[in-house]
Amino acid sequence: MKIAIPHSLLYYYYFPLWDTFFKELGFEVVDTGPTTKDILDKGSKAAVADICAPIKIFTGHVIEGLEKADYVFVPRFARIKKPEYFCPKFMGLPDIIEGTVEKSKGRVISPIINEKNNENISSPRGYEILIDMFGFSHREIRLAIKRAEEVFERFKSLMHSGLSCDKALNSYRTGRWEEDLGKVKKDGDVTIAVLGYVYDVYDSFISMDVVKKLETLGVNIKTFEMVPQEVAYESLKHYRKRLFWTFSNRVLGAGLYYLKDPDVDGIIHVTAFGCGPDAIVGRFLQFESDVAGKPFTTLRVDEHTGEGHMVTRIEAFVDMLRRKKWAKLSEVL
Amino acid sequence: MKVSFPYMGSAIVYKKLFEFLEHEVIMPPKPTQRTMDLGVKYSPEFACIPLKMVMGTYLEAIEKGAKVLVTSGGHGPCRAGFYGDTHRNILKSLGYDDIELIIFDAPQDSWRAFFRNVQKIRNGVPWHKVINRMYTLYRFVQKLDELEKMVQKIRPYEVNKGQTTQVWNQIQERFDKIKTRKELYKVYEECKQLLFSIPTRKVDEKDRIRVGIVGEIYVVMESSINFGIEEILGNLGVEVERSLYLFEWINDNLVPWILRPKRFKEIIKKGQRYIKILIGGHAVETVGHIIDFKERGFDGIVHLMPFACLPELVTQSLIPKISKEVDIPILSLPIDEQTGKANMLTRIEAFIDLLKNRKRGKTKEVFIDNIQEHVQEERVVMV
Ligand code: SF4
Ligand code: SF4
Repeated sequence: MKIAIPHSLLYYYYFPLWDTFFKELGFEVVDTGPTTKDILDKGSKAAVADICAPIKIFTGHVIEGLEKADYVFVPRFARIKKPEYFCPKFMGLPDIIEGTVEKSKGRVISPIINEKNNENISSPRGYEILIDMFGFSHREIRLAIKRAEEVFERFKSLMHSGLSCDKALNSYRTGRWEEDLGKVKKDGDVTIAVLGYVYDVYDSFISMDVVKKLETLGVNIKTFEMVPQEVAYESLKHYRKRLFWTFSNRVLGAGLYYLKDPDVDGIIHVTAFGCGPDAIVGRFLQFESDVAGKPFTTLRVDEHTGEGHMVTRIEAFVDMLRRKKWAKLSEVL
Repeated sequence: MKVSFPYMGSAIVYKKLFEFLEHEVIMPPKPTQRTMDLGVKYSPEFACIPLKMVMGTYLEAIEKGAKVLVTSGGHGPCRAGFYGDTHRNILKSLGYDDIELIIFDAPQDSWRAFFRNVQKIRNGVPWHKVINRMYTLYRFVQKLDELEKMVQKIRPYEVNKGQTTQVWNQIQERFDKIKTRKELYKVYEECKQLLFSIPTRKVDEKDRIRVGIVGEIYVVMESSINFGIEEILGNLGVEVERSLYLFEWINDNLVPWILRPKRFKEIIKKGQRYIKILIGGHAVETVGHIIDFKERGFDGIVHLMPFACLPELVTQSLIPKISKEVDIPILSLPIDEQTGKANMLTRIEAFIDLLKNRKRGKTKEVFIDNIQEHVQEERVVMV
């Protein structure tokens, strides 16, 4: 049996877990691969016009996956931390797919992720639909998920050691865990925290590889995945009430953490055009950056953003940070 | 305290609430283009239109002298639960340090905060009076909603254009003056008679078109943002009913779950045929009501949603499928500051033409002579 895992949305964060899990169960896993123009077009055609780019892209990957495999994996993310939830579109993701992708009927595997406090999404309960669908035993599911969780823990430790999640994914694929642990490029002269959801930052079609472009400009990068969940939440403590969306809190919390980090010279918030939660996250990040006196900029991206335009903007931002830094240094000297 | 609140739908109800609690009420003006401009100017660009409109309303209420703004919070997963904090943040950055924003979150989030708020707005009125007056208010909402439902059924058949709306405005003015329960029941009866005395046309069943309005609460309830869609439809000869009325909303949301009307649970169940879990906003209810309207013999659905509304985009993704499977035409209208009235009107008119064509030939001939009976026949649904 072939199952396709759409290379989109939380793929970037959870692929090692899912990949291991399904392989343990004897599935052949098909990765739909990085977003291409073709995938994007398929998705845009099927999805409703006003929906955010990440969901359009996901829809495209599902269609692609249906062509390449027997089943497609479309998890329903409700929550991984109480009392928060995911963006409503994640909660209704399988419903959206059912409504917009005709051929998906009966071929979508949608476990419900509903955890009280478990970033590892590793309780077998949600995956029990596989028992009904394919006749696995409870034990098989439990063992497979346990194995997957171990892998995911290693993946997380790579990220916490300073690897961004696409680099950690690469280590997972190549199996070079030990060698890559803590191997972070630190020779740039400025450091920028690039904050945003993994599917915005690492989808080369949405953000046009902003991270790589910054690196070629000689910038060190920090991202929210490098900040462990507990640490991110710690820095949110002074808020009256948390945001409702776990990953939004992670992004915001990491932002607040980096604002206090003397190594970080500036912040770039990467957000998809029309993203609901980010209207609020962005406002808070901007507000707090002003208070902390650190340069902040928003990179609003979608499937139509012009690359030239983006490069000019980040170059200008990096130049500004450099000038600021040199001015400060020369003061000291 | 000079109290004000967001304007949404029957705003006189909120006004009554604070009058009953003996506050000085600053009535927020009904939202206009200026409200929208103010709101858009000071809110995050990608905030939803209700957040922007409420922002504008607050600024206008403050201009009129409001010092305290009272609103509800909510507990996700949608943005609505964060409106209050965002508004507070914006007001602060505009330098309004003396404005207090009281946000009522769901009590189960923090009972302590909830009661602190209750104490604040109770304003020292003795509890027995509070309870008595709240009960009056509860009935007040119920009666007002009943009358509004009648208005929506009479308007399409009025002989003199605009008369029903005129009477409805009178009704609201009269309700505004009510102080006691006894008065309420008396005024209600009189208003009902007022409605029934409106001359109406004789209507043939095959020409009667009924449309259900569903969607996100603010755009469904507040006519200033949806261009008065109920009136537009009424004037096109269409009977309308909304998925949401304040009285039902109170029963559905403020009454403990076990006491909630069975009807609400049924709607949720119907909605879950297409959206399996509650995802915030009114998405599941929207779907549930679409199915419910169909089952009750409605001819079409107008789905209103703020542009880029998270839960309603999930609904919208399902609309073609639902429309086909349930067999009911659905018109989905996204609304934001750029939505033009003319464009919307054209789409609505085309939609109603479609419904009329569909209907012809499908139905048996039934005449309604007596508007009073017609209007009352379905009132059972209310309680
Ligand atoms: S969080 Fe934003 S970008 Fe992600 S699915 Fe929701 S609206 Fe789209
Ligand atoms: S339901 Fe829609 S309009 Fe309301 S807060 Fe959520 S996204 Fe905004």
